[in-house]
Amino acid sequence: MTQHTVKAYGDELNQLTAEVARMGGLAEAQVADAVESVARRDVALARAVVERDARLDGLHREIEKKAIRLIALRQPVASDLRRTLASMKLATDLERTGDLAKNIAKRALILAEGEPMQPLTRSIERMGKLVSTRLRDVLDAYAAAEVERAISVWNTDDEVDEHYNALFRELLTYMMGDPRTIGACTHLLFMAKNLERIGDHATNIAETIHYEITGLEFTGERPRWTPDPAEPASPETTSA
Amino acid sequence: MPFDAAPSPVAPPAASRLWTAGASAGIPIAVLLGLAAVHPELAPWLVGAATLVALAAWAANRRRPGDGARPADPAPPSATGAADRLLLEGAFEALVDPVLVVAGGEADDLAGRRVVLANAAARDLLRIPREGALLVPALREPAVLEAVDEALYGGVERTTDYTAPGPRPRHWRAMTRPLAGGESDGALALVVLRDETDVRRMELMRVDFLANASHELKTPLASLAGFIETLKGHARDDARARDKFLDIMAVQAERMSRLVADLLSLSRIELNEHIPPAGRVDLVPAARDVVDAVGLLAAERGVTLKLEARGGRAPVSGDRDEVVQVIQNLVDNAIKYSGPGQTVEILVKADVPLQEAAAAWSGGAREGGVTRLPLLTPDREPGQRYAAVMVRDHGPGMARETLPRLTERFYRVEGQKSGERPGTGLGLAIVKHIVNRHRGGLTVESAPGEGATFTAYFPVAAPRPSRDDTTTDRPSP
Repeated sequence: MTQHTVKAYGDELNQLTAEVARMGGLAEAQVADAVESVARRDVALARAVVERDARLDGLHREIEKKAIRLIALRQPVASDLRRTLASMKLATDLERTGDLAKNIAKRALILAEGEPMQPLTRSIERMGKLVSTRLRDVLDAYAAAEVERAISVWNTDDEVDEHYNALFRELLTYMMGDPRTIGACTHLLFMAKNLERIGDHATNIAETIHYEITGLEFTGERPRWTPDPAEPASPETTSA
Repeated sequence: MPFDAAPSPVAPPAASRLWTAGASAGIPIAVLLGLAAVHPELAPWLVGAATLVALAAWAANRRRPGDGARPADPAPPSATGAADRLLLEGAFEALVDPVLVVAGGEADDLAGRRVVLANAAARDLLRIPREGALLVPALREPAVLEAVDEALYGGVERTTDYTAPGPRPRHWRAMTRPLAGGESDGALALVVLRDETDVRRMELMRVDFLANASHELKTPLASLAGFIETLKGHARDDARARDKFLDIMAVQAERMSRLVADLLSLSRIELNEHIPPAGRVDLVPAARDVVDAVGLLAAERGVTLKLEARGGRAPVSGDRDEVVQVIQNLVDNAIKYSGPGQTVEILVKADVPLQEAAAAWSGGAREGGVTRLPLLTPDREPGQRYAAVMVRDHGPGMARETLPRLTERFYRVEGQKSGERPGTGLGLAIVKHIVNRHRGGLTVESAPGEGATFTAYFPVAAPRPSRDDTTTDRPSP
């Protein structure tokens, strides 16, 4: 009988991990599709992203419910407890990621009504690819339970920040050059900000994975640069 | 053979069926006889019933071998049967496309979907063991998971396309089919993944090439057309103006041909980007060749080139021409942005771990306002060592906000003049694509007024057990 109980318990834990992985896959696809809908001005895809967000929300609730049930019924300890808690935390991060992707898709719908802005949407696409890759890496690390891989994602967060800053300046230059583009550029700016925050969620997930596997809080120095006083609008961009 | 030991094999072993038959008959008989012992008054009826059950079980068992003509039936594995199995097994393993057999549990139990069998290609791709891995963490793509569910529970065949992001994104086509399998294991599905990257890449490349070429050739073409117009018109008889115009036209034509050459080489490299190069190159002689080749140009501009090799020979796995092109483009750029009397330093570091390969020139990152940014980071491979070539100039340098855009095609840092020999704006894009193909990385380190350092690093080639290893390290100048 004991054998059976442990097996069911193990199954429940596995199921929780699988659900989180599935949710991760969905969030990944949402981000990639949202960015693609911007790049290709694909209205149908953007609508699909907006609609699919409900599924992510549903999965999030389900994972929380299952985790709470597991805690109540099995009283997990040590690594099992960390695994359960990590699944809840990851679900929250992934749900937020989905919301941000949905927001990007909504803005893509508005942008599709105006003139195409090829060079700018390309920059968004490039940043989107970078963020997608980080999300994929960190979820791979979760699926394979590899701390090192998660940490390497954590360590490269400044790449996204640099991209964001570059895009910020690019957009600013554009808006100053042609005030008619301000509306569209503002949407692009928010998209870039959303992507940057998705990158931050990936970093959070990396920290959670570290905690789940090692049981220790991750205390490394975040490779974050302090904005120089000239930021955000520096004189050289103004004169450009 | 591990196949026999599979926890949920496609066909259950024959022994289990016999046992089931025996148990299904034996248990009721035992129960009936037990009841007969407890209630002697009912004994005749119960014993009669037990006999009936026994007779029925015997009859059923006797009939079984009758339909035993089915190939799946137990028949002691003859020598040819075993050989067939082995052959089948080998063929499955050797399939180029990743193939998975997935078993579904309960429809709502995600952890019940397990990979029953995965061939070598699938194990490599998804990093899973041969059998027993959970499907969902291994393969997260929602569209494919949906298709698998449809195959498992709806018996529907589907084809799904998806893209795996990364430094070298890959396009996959997943084909899912329901599988007729074991009776007791529930539904089975077959998933075959096919790499469609080449096909998609060809399409994308054509579109990209046209867009880039038409856009960039427009300007020089327009100016050529303008000069031709003028030469046909009022400048026809003005010898001095004609010579001047022809000179300008020659420069424009040369620029156009350089642009087309660069675009073509970029396209070629992009096409091969996900095919790892097969050759072997030593970075030190490659760098020396480049220094020799550009020596004249450097001397013309009054720039000194300094080559230093740290750690002796630096063999990397790569295509020689492409690696030379990387170094060449980096050195060309450095010379272009150097003033007379300045030095361009080239440093080759052999056999260092990833962290050190990507490290800054000075060692400390971000000191004195210098920004270091990875432009390309290779996929993590534990234990992989790298050899790096660093090219440093003391030119005007670049502001941090321009750094992430350096490898964009046709991107130019505003306000910078690259001298009388303008570049095509493709040099660094080419470098990035070559390095990516070689599974290497690229970093830049710069600040306004501080010059710039570009580092390209490549995975070290596996040692070759040949006479080459006996040659001693040559200390380089």
